Order: sequence, then structure tokens, then C-alpha cells
Amino acid sequence: MIHRLYCYKDLLLVFIWREFLIRYKQTAIGVIWAVLQPVSLMLLFTFIFGAVLQTTQKNYPYVLFFYAGVLPWTFFSGATNFAVTSLSGNFNLVTKIYFPREIIPLSGVAINFLDYLIGLAVYFLLLLVYRVPLTWNFFWLLPLLIMLVLYATSVSLLLAALNVYYRDVKLASTFLLQFLFFATPVIYSIDAVDNRWKMLLFLNPLTFIVENMRRVTIEGRGIILWQIAAEMLGVIVLYLVIYQIFTRIERAFADVI
Amino acid sequence: MSSEQVISFRNVWKKYSKQQVLNNSLREELVSVITGKKCREELADGEFWALSDVNISVMKGQCIGLSGHNGSGKSTILKLISNVTYPTKGIISIKGRVAPLIELGAGMHPDLTGLENIYMNGTILGLSIRELKRRIPEIVAFSELDEFIDVPVKKYSSGMYLRLAFSIAVHSPADIFLFDEVLTVGDESFQSKCLERIATISADNGTILVVSHDRMVLSRICDGILKLEHGAIKSSEGL
Repeated sequence: MIHRLYCYKDLLLVFIWREFLIRYKQTAIGVIWAVLQPVSLMLLFTFIFGAVLQTTQKNYPYVLFFYAGVLPWTFFSGATNFAVTSLSGNFNLVTKIYFPREIIPLSGVAINFLDYLIGLAVYFLLLLVYRVPLTWNFFWLLPLLIMLVLYATSVSLLLAALNVYYRDVKLASTFLLQFLFFATPVIYSIDAVDNRWKMLLFLNPLTFIVENMRRVTIEGRGIILWQIAAEMLGVIVLYLVIYQIFTRIERAFADVI
Repeated sequence: MSSEQVISFRNVWKKYSKQQVLNNSLREELVSVITGKKCREELADGEFWALSDVNISVMKGQCIGLSGHNGSGKSTILKLISNVTYPTKGIISIKGRVAPLIELGAGMHPDLTGLENIYMNGTILGLSIRELKRRIPEIVAFSELDEFIDVPVKKYSSGMYLRLAFSIAVHSPADIFLFDEVLTVGDESFQSKCLERIATISADNGTILVVSHDRMVLSRICDGILKLEHGAIKSSEGL
């Protein structure tokens, strides 16, 4: 993939830059939107679960708990949502000019990752405000980030390619994402789940990622090595399979789109 | 003109489907991923040959015109050359970088300014960002849009829009240029400027394929004309 994209790295850069420009053109507050979305979701959940339902999840502030969950989720849903229609929506490019097709969904992953990084800066601010002690375990965030990006990329490529053939994918993905939201421990903790369902939920790599992002930052604990090894292997294999299929069927995109 | 062959089609066939939803296509593609087998070569229901048994050979520096009725396969040939699609049967070999001006401004975005769109369209045509920075004064000058280059292109008139797209396209350092019905750009003075530019590309040993219904223009700028009918070459003049 790196070799294939190297010749087109400028095109990828320009695509990312274009998406960035388009997104914030004719907006009044521009990049602040990147922070506004996760922060407002976090505030909403804090209000509902803290004030309305009065449940307790963990022994640390709701604000941190929800923000840590909302942030990776916003990135994942943003990237995949962009990807679904990225190829079919750019059909005038796809049917006219050749370039590696993955560039368009990848630029969506990249642009959402930029937003994610801005959101992450706010997260670190919150950790400081709530006086969470910094530990070496913070460095576990890096492999978790790689997993998150790789997983989002795989799902984005798959949805983008399938939507070229069947527009049903666009319609299905909207509510599938809603399902996935509840299958990911954004508004609950996996510790509260019965053991029978835990294994099922861990089939979703996002469960592992979100849960451990809280663990290594707020709780300052490390990740169990065999668990991350297994999840990482799963995500890498998934990515390789999907990328292989994508490059094989992309040559037919112009004919079926 | 040299004797180096840059475009070669040998017994090329291309199948298309009339149906909008291709129920079988994804399944076929996936099966071919697993088994490594090529596509079916027979026609199924609702399929037709857009090209049948086409042989073309173009030398470096030649300017070739393609003419024929709508649906005769002209654009399909250009798509095959630019690698957007692939042949069902037959062998195609292309030497050099292709600038497909199949539809001017395919990569333009209405909310971006003229200058931003130059970067967008230029990189789509295979220019690097560094090359583009160097060529931008030239591109802007050719388009005659100096005053409007920082205006979003949604505010352009259709003539201005096409002028910008054409300017980007003809300044790409490609070896093979494909023009599909784009010679009717702008007013008369700009049109003659376009034709001059094509002559310059030709003189610099660039290979050009032009699709047009205008026989007059074709015979003026082309070394040879291929006439297509129902996906087959009916006659070739000057080749």
C-alpha cells in the first residue's frame, strides 16, 4: 500500500487539504467544530447519566469517563460516514481519471484524525484539570491509536467499495453505526457487563480500544500483553484482507458505479 | 515524429451492461479474487460490446482524431488509454504519462477558489505540488483569469470555468493528451489559442488523441482520423 500510494502522495495531501478547506469554508467558527461535537456529546451524557438517571459507572468524574469514550467513537463514526459515499459521490472523478481509489476514503480517515488530535489535546487539558496523575502507562495510547486508525481505515475501505455496487450500504450503515455505538462501551463500562456478553462485545475491536484508552490514561494501569497482541493481530489481518479485496475490485469501479 | 509506438491496442474487446444494477458483478469480482479466473467472455442478458476487436497503433508525436456517432466507442477508447477501465479481452500497452482531459474540470469543487482548484486538478492529472507551484503563473496567464483567481469557482461563468480547466490540463507535463469534445471552449479567440496550444504540444513530440464531431477541426489539426461505428473501426485516414 505504501509503495502504491507513494507516487500519489501529493494527490493524497491535496485531497486532505481540500476536504479540510471545504469543511470549514463559509463556517463562522471553523475548526472549533472539531472540539464542539465531542464536548457537547460528553456534556449531554454527563447530564443524562449523572443528573437525570443518577447512575454510577466508575469512581472517577463523569466528564472524563464520557469524554474518553466519545472521542474515539466520534473519530470512527466520522471517518466511516465520510467513506461510505466517498467513492460513489465522486463518480465524476472515478469514471474519468485513474488514481488509486483508496485515496478518497483515506483522506476522510486523515481529516477525521486531525479533528481527533485536536479533541485529544482537550482531553489532556481535562486530565490536568481533574489532577489525574501522569504515568508511563500513557504510552500505551500509541498502539491503541494505531489500532483505532487501522480499524477505521479497514471499515472505511470496505464500506466505500461496497457502496459503489449497492447503495443499500449507505442506508444500512446509518443504523449499523447506531448499533455499533451501543456495542461499544462509550456510555457504559465493560466491567458492568455480565461475563457471558463480555466475550461477544470484545469481538468489536472498538470495545477493546475504548475500554483500554480509559484504563491507561484515567486509571493509569497497563494493558495485559496477550490481550493487546491478540486484538492487534485481529485488526491487522482484517486490514490486510480488506485491502487485498479492495485493490482487486477497484478496477471495475468505473464500470459499475 | 519518431517511430516509437506509444499506444497499442491489440484485438481489444470491451463489454458493458445496459442494466443499472449489476447484480452479478460484485459476486463475479469476488469469485475472481479467490479463484484468479478472468471474467466471462460471452455476453449475458443486457450486455453488449462497446468495442469489438479494435486494433490501434499510435506513434509518438502523432495527433489522432476520433470521430463517430454517439455511442460508437470513442470515449471508451479514451477511458481504456487512461486506465480508468480495463478491457474484457485483448492487450493494451501505453508508454508514458497520460493526461486525460476527458471531461474538463472533473476534479473542480465549486466552493474552492480558482487557485485552490488548480492544485486540486493539477495533482489529479499527476503533477506534483512542487511542479504546480512553478507552473501556476503560466497556467493563470493562459486562462486569462488573473483578477478572478481568488474567487470561488461557483461564481465563475461556464466559459471561465472551462478556460481554467483547459489551462490546467494543457500545462501538465504528460506524454499523451486525451481531449474529449473539449475544443469548443470559450469564445473564438480562446478557441484559436487552444488549437495553437495543441499544435505546440504536437511540435514538442507530445502524442494527442482528440474526440470531436467537428470534421473541419479534426482535419485541420490531426495527422490521421479514425472513424468508429458500433464499437469497431470503420475507416482510418492518414494512418
